[in-house]
Amino acid sequence: LRLIHTSTAVQRKNVGASGPEKYTEAFIKKQIEEFNLGKRHLANMMGEDPETFTQEDIDRAIAYLFPSGLFDKQARPMMKHPTEIFPEQRKIQWGEDGRPFHFLFYTGKQSYYSLMHETYEKLLSAQKYQDQLIAQDLPLQKEKRNLAGSRWLTKIELEEMLLEKLSDNDYSRFIQLLQKLVALPCSDIEEKYIQKFSKEVPVQMQKVLIEPLQHDERGVAFSTGEGRRKTASATAIVYDNGTGKMTVNGKDILHYFPVLQDREQLLFPFQFLDRIGKHDTVCTVSGGGRSAQAGAIRLACAKALRSFVTEKEVEFMRQAGLLTVDPRVKERKKPGQEGARRKFTWKKR
Amino acid sequence: STSLSRHAVCPRLQPPFSCPSRLMQVRWSRYSPSFLEPEVNKEFYQKPLEELTEEEREQRELKAVRPIKAAPPTLSSSVFRDPMISKFTNMMMKDGNKVLARSLMTQTLEAIKRKQLEKYHKAPENEKETIECNPYVIFHQALKNCQPIIGLSNITKGGKTYQVPVPLKDNRKRFLAMKWMITECRENKHRRTLMPEKLSQELLLAFNNEGPIIKKKHVLHKMAEANRAYAHFRWW
Repeated sequence: LRLIHTSTAVQRKNVGASGPEKYTEAFIKKQIEEFNLGKRHLANMMGEDPETFTQEDIDRAIAYLFPSGLFDKQARPMMKHPTEIFPEQRKIQWGEDGRPFHFLFYTGKQSYYSLMHETYEKLLSAQKYQDQLIAQDLPLQKEKRNLAGSRWLTKIELEEMLLEKLSDNDYSRFIQLLQKLVALPCSDIEEKYIQKFSKEVPVQMQKVLIEPLQHDERGVAFSTGEGRRKTASATAIVYDNGTGKMTVNGKDILHYFPVLQDREQLLFPFQFLDRIGKHDTVCTVSGGGRSAQAGAIRLACAKALRSFVTEKEVEFMRQAGLLTVDPRVKERKKPGQEGARRKFTWKKR
Repeated sequence: STSLSRHAVCPRLQPPFSCPSRLMQVRWSRYSPSFLEPEVNKEFYQKPLEELTEEEREQRELKAVRPIKAAPPTLSSSVFRDPMISKFTNMMMKDGNKVLARSLMTQTLEAIKRKQLEKYHKAPENEKETIECNPYVIFHQALKNCQPIIGLSNITKGGKTYQVPVPLKDNRKRFLAMKWMITECRENKHRRTLMPEKLSQELLLAFNNEGPIIKKKHVLHKMAEANRAYAHFRWW
């Protein structure tokens, strides 16, 4: 049987944990040699230097030589290093006499338990170090770890690291132990160990470009914004030097939104920035229901107001939840159930 | 972006053994787990840096980096928004008819105001100051008076189920007060009286520590006092 290159979507099931090797070491070595040879051939074909042919160049070359119109990127032809395609497999855990190598083999989850033991040892050593410092009356160093910039490994990432299946309970226990370790004041000595299990979170989201104010014929500054909420889409034009009038689709808001809650939502961004009587607004909205239209206009007004206001206030608006698009939409109805969540009435017979 | 990681701990209550907590995937939300709740209160943002405690500073730093959920339609920075009243309105709502629930609430507050003003104008001069006319104050005080301090919980031991007195959390107390108020007003009224009238009546009685809901609270307290002997069955 010839082993075909699989796509990464299939590999996402943790193949590494599913038992002893399906691909032998010799096979993987051969694949790596073939890959390197193929890389050089490809470089020669493209007329580039085989020594400095990077993975990006390979991807470009393959996209050029085998153009594909398939939508799924992972279904297109690709040429990657075998270690990326064939995931790491667990080697056979016992020797020729049948005796297992690891002392925790018979627990069933040897890597997980050995990891827990190791982490607990680090915890105990940190506590011992802390006791020593207290005995010598030295101050305990407390450099704060930046909570915001890092996150723990997810369960899937940990499974890939250990090459073993974990349960939710196991994973949560491990994270609790790590948090306990980090909470100790003398956890600086274990910093290296902890860094193995934490990942950097990309700190700043894309900086959104705030458009500058435009001016219309009378010289009045104005700015536009667009908003969406649950099938409703709205555009708002906020004029400066106004009296606080708001028009929606040609009608006054008192006529268009008879419900108090919707009007509160429209005024929310202005009230938050203390600019209630200072701006005139003209909005157009379509689609959705009454509350969705109000939410869409609210988002559009908030986006338009960004141009009138300092950066600090824009950050305050973001933290108040005014500038986020609400992703909640109606959940689809599933087959075999009456609604999205409601099941059919259960009858005993 | 969708996320499937909202977990709930499901304790299996089988005394006297300590229950191993199991995590089950119960709910999911359209927001990823790194999203934080929005803070709408304007004063929070106007506080200068020196007045903040350590925790608040950490919270601020975290908020500056993480994405924030969108504010729901019930939330706004208006001075007229009261979280307790919003919660009560949601509990009164039936079949998602928020418009009706909100109008009933406003009518109730109006009715309280009218009754108090009538009393105010009829009262002699020296008593005028003691009469409270602000419906929001009356609402809050009435619900506070209705909150039970201690609750009962069913614990099965040796085949028999006992009612064991148990301390209640703040959230639970508020919920019970509001629930009793609403059930009382829905059930024990004449067919023709409307909800705002009955509610305003009950709230005014509760404000003065009288009425059926306060009685219900006292009955619960007496039951808890009577079952004091079983208090040691509680293991949490």
